[in-house]
Amino acid sequence: MEVLKQIIENINYIGALALFVIGLYTVVTHSNLIKRIIGINIMGTGVFYFFVSIGNVVGGNPPIVDLDNGNLIYINPLPSGLILTGIVVVVSITVYSLSLVVRIYETYGTIDQDEIAKIIDQETFDD
Amino acid sequence: MIEQLPILNLVLLLTTALMIPFTQKISFKTTKLVGFTVLLTVLVSTLFILLHVQSEGAFYYHLGGYPSTIGIEFYVSILSAFFTLFVIALGTLIYVYSTRDIEHDVYAQDYGRYYTLLFILLFSMLGIVYTNDLFNTYVFMEILSITTCSIISIKRSKKNYTAAFRYLMLNEVGSLSYLFGVALIYMVTGYLNIDLAAESIQQVWHLYPANIVIALGFMIIGVSIKAAIFPFHIWLPDAHSTAPSASSALLSSIVVKVYIIIMIKVLLRLIGIDILEALNIPVFLTIIAASGMLIGSIFALGQKDLKRMLGYSSIAQIGYIVLGISLMSSLGLTAALFHIVSHGMMKAALFLSAGAFIFLRNQRAINGFNGLGYQMPISMAVFSIAGLGMIGIPGTSGFISKFNLGVAILDANQWFLLVILIMSGVLNAMYYLPIMINAFLKDNPEKNRVMQFEKLPKVMLVPIVVLGLMIVLVGLFPNSIMSYIEAAVAMLLA
Repeated sequence: MEVLKQIIENINYIGALALFVIGLYTVVTHSNLIKRIIGINIMGTGVFYFFVSIGNVVGGNPPIVDLDNGNLIYINPLPSGLILTGIVVVVSITVYSLSLVVRIYETYGTIDQDEIAKIIDQETFDD
Repeated sequence: MIEQLPILNLVLLLTTALMIPFTQKISFKTTKLVGFTVLLTVLVSTLFILLHVQSEGAFYYHLGGYPSTIGIEFYVSILSAFFTLFVIALGTLIYVYSTRDIEHDVYAQDYGRYYTLLFILLFSMLGIVYTNDLFNTYVFMEILSITTCSIISIKRSKKNYTAAFRYLMLNEVGSLSYLFGVALIYMVTGYLNIDLAAESIQQVWHLYPANIVIALGFMIIGVSIKAAIFPFHIWLPDAHSTAPSASSALLSSIVVKVYIIIMIKVLLRLIGIDILEALNIPVFLTIIAASGMLIGSIFALGQKDLKRMLGYSSIAQIGYIVLGISLMSSLGLTAALFHIVSHGMMKAALFLSAGAFIFLRNQRAINGFNGLGYQMPISMAVFSIAGLGMIGIPGTSGFISKFNLGVAILDANQWFLLVILIMSGVLNAMYYLPIMINAFLKDNPEKNRVMQFEKLPKVMLVPIVVLGLMIVLVGLFPNSIMSYIEAAVAMLLA
């Protein structure tokens, strides 16, 4: 019962870590370049989720000053603010890597890492 | 007034980068001249900052006037003042070299884009060195990773795209691991400012040792991937060898070092030696450093392409720096910081002279160097000076850093590391010396033994010669920069 309670209390952190690991697994194991970019995005989401969860306060309001509302407990706005920056960064990385994939597809005719490696090996062998 | 200079430097570099796309109507020569003036201005102002910090002591700069608990803060200490000078000085030399070298590697329509990227690259490196905020470091790191990858892929050849893509993926895994570490530190301390977080870590680390260890693990692995420390080095040879020569010099001599500065900041300023030793971190660092020193050199032995060999040699040399850090003593840190500077100069000289061989003779294969010393005496001489520096011959800056590292190892009483250091030096000799011997003592295929100076453009020749002179001068008078490094180490260990 104690363990279950612990899990429920920390479910955000566990979920974030799970997302991070799933993303890492996708980046490392998949040979399809688009899937690897998706993996990076999943990893990023995991980290952002973790960061935002740190700022949560149980029973807190969104951090907008509203004196009519009696509840004066607010969640910590700083992590959410930081994560907005983080999301922008990951979006720009995604855009850049997708444009690289477009170029790779134009030059090699495939977006599979294994097939690209085969083509490169063949070329160095021909030299 | 001088307190404003760090941010003005950043703004100046960023504005230049953003103005270059609008200058297409002006002749490109003017743009290059303007870029050079900007770099000289930044160089002079970093010099002023260094002199100011030396006489008046370190200072803080608060962006937007917010207090350090919530705002971003620059900490301009002797460490950051000295290393920004190092970054900008090498950056300026490489910039001068690149103004002609890009004609060889980059299409004409991409010249402007190349310099936009170069200035953003320098901007983010300066930012990383100045900043005293963990999340701000992450943002600058991401700017740096996008620009480094694009400065590789700008060459528009098949291999560059795949090298840049692999570099980008690993870089991104590294950045996100670092950010995860930052999140864990923020969870424990509630601060992102390095000074404030370090204070509260000192108080609470007994309560949350698991958090600190996991955070440190994520941050060290994240930075190690980006700094190409041994088990995470796989992207480096491809990325550094396919890039345009000026970019390779920039990537190998400065960019990788900036990540090591982040590592030094995280380990020593955020966590502190006492906690690191209680958590047994130095042992792990020693193991990865020692294996990197050997394996980098062994891989370098088997290479046929000159720039790939230099890339693998970088991995071994980064091992030296990490070994110096892992000793956790003031002698070890002094050796590590000195080696950052001396390896920066030597690797820049090696890559720039390798670029000269590629520019004039399209010579990349290691076995094609016979008699090149007669046709390209100046570049080959600088290549040899830097190569001898890598081996650690007295009279070059490489000797001073290896000597200091050896003294630090003896001081820490770990003789087996000294054996590894000497073995790595021997391996260095095994792959640098044959090139020099072939170039100066063997006949070239045309049997032409007439010595003649190479017809290299002056803007390419001057940086190469300046770097060669600097390696020898620092080797003969190491105390000129040692005083700054010792002050920086005293600041880190205080």
